[in-house]
Amino acid sequence: MRRWGHLLLTLILAVGAHAFFNGGMWESRAEVRSETEAGYVLPSRFSRILALGYQGLLSDYLFLKTATFYGERQMVQKELSESDWEYFTASLDVLTDLDPYFFDPYLLAEGHLAWEGRIEQANRLLRKGMEYRDWDWRIPYFIGFNYFYFLQDYENGSEYIMEAARRPGSPAFLKPLGARLAYYGGKSETAILFLRGMLAETDDPRFRAPLEIRLLALERAAELERLIERFNREQGKLPARIEDLIKAGYIENLPEDPYGGNWVILKTGRVFSTSKFVRAKEKDD
Amino acid sequence: MKKVLALALITYREGIRNRSVFGIVLFSLFIFGLNIAVAGFFMRDVGKVTVDMNLSALSVAGLLLVFFVGVNLMAKDIDRKTIHLVLSKPISRVEYIWGKYFGILFFILASMAVLFVLSCFTVLLLKGMYADYFGQFSWLVFSLAAFFVFVKVAVLAGIVVFFSSITSNSFITLVFSICAFIVGVSIEEVVFYLRSAFAAQEAAISGSLRSFIEAISYFVPNLAAFDFKTEAAHGLPLAWDRLGLSLGYAAAYVVVLLLLASFIFRRREFN
Repeated sequence: MRRWGHLLLTLILAVGAHAFFNGGMWESRAEVRSETEAGYVLPSRFSRILALGYQGLLSDYLFLKTATFYGERQMVQKELSESDWEYFTASLDVLTDLDPYFFDPYLLAEGHLAWEGRIEQANRLLRKGMEYRDWDWRIPYFIGFNYFYFLQDYENGSEYIMEAARRPGSPAFLKPLGARLAYYGGKSETAILFLRGMLAETDDPRFRAPLEIRLLALERAAELERLIERFNREQGKLPARIEDLIKAGYIENLPEDPYGGNWVILKTGRVFSTSKFVRAKEKDD
Repeated sequence: MKKVLALALITYREGIRNRSVFGIVLFSLFIFGLNIAVAGFFMRDVGKVTVDMNLSALSVAGLLLVFFVGVNLMAKDIDRKTIHLVLSKPISRVEYIWGKYFGILFFILASMAVLFVLSCFTVLLLKGMYADYFGQFSWLVFSLAAFFVFVKVAVLAGIVVFFSSITSNSFITLVFSICAFIVGVSIEEVVFYLRSAFAAQEAAISGSLRSFIEAISYFVPNLAAFDFKTEAAHGLPLAWDRLGLSLGYAAAYVVVLLLLASFIFRRREFN
């Protein structure tokens, strides 16, 4: 009986020790993961062989790993270092080599490479997707968006949007959008149309959040642009400062820039923000 | 022929009674469950991930069946010397080889058919849950890909029978068969890589290595020819001539292996 008591006591102690170490281990792993560099991506030439015929499955796993890596950095709002970005891009490249028809990596590339200013890399990946997924309108649509929105290259942009419009199942607004681009490329309304389309393609709340903030900022900017246009029509000149809209009674309060900047009027009558639509924290780093 | 069938039936029953089959079925059920759990982690291509995981589970289950149960069925007679008992019956050694092979084949076919039906339920369930994300999915291509997983395992079963006819130890048969499998799945990439590297004038790889690999490619089966997982995952159209060629290749390869095995087995001495 005493022996049983000893065993039980030891068991309770051991379980307690396990709980202690388990908690500590997970905490330390979380810290290590957020601190360490992303690491090396095996080139697809080798991983194709090492996959032993399970290339599709390997691409699923790599995708989860890459998305988790990116999502973790986003959650702790940690800026990705240059080597982190290299890892992210290389990883997307390898997993689309393993399965070039896999749509999710292209969506991730569009949502995050392009939006973080790596438009060249995003477009290169997306062109691979466009070639393989030749039935899918979304990929040329993404490339068109990048040309239009980030590079202000309306000509190329409209070409890709037209290509997207030719593919089966593309929404009806693409054709007029492609045609509009050449003339009204610079307008916030065009960007809003695009962003709504992008949001319709994204479920993950982590990835939706930045798009939603951007959409909100653009909608507010577009609202101000409409008021400025009215001001211009009725008063015959552009307001000198954005506050003139309040003074003239066009609006009661200025909407807040979700990125925390102040609104400014450009000479063209467009509205932009001192935040440049980038989160304040990112600029400080 | 009757004797071959009789032996095949006995082998089949022995295989089905093996306890490891339950383990392998449980493993597949676990993967199907995992599939349902992780499907939500993906953004759009839930259909692709589902098909990938289902076909991979079928394929791994097939490999486990042929490498662990199949090797056992074939090599146990020789290992435990019960082969003397079998060969004392009015059955020739050639009939023994073919009977054993068909027995293993029936056993794998039956087990994989059960797993395939279970996998269809998983796909149906996920298709119901994420109906929008199964755009290009086609049951026909999915079933064909699953059938070719079976064809791949059937070729491996031929390899197991062949190596069992040479060695007298089931572990060595297992090691040889796994090596043949690893070479078989990767040979295509290596051959095409060497070809492309030569096209690019890469002098680092000697010509003799290239000829060696080319020669090897005649001996080991190119298992990539039976891999239609990508097509199934994305519902891409399959050319019938490609399917026919793969099937013909598998059949011819297995027949050659079994004839060689029969030839070796006939001349073999047991002690």
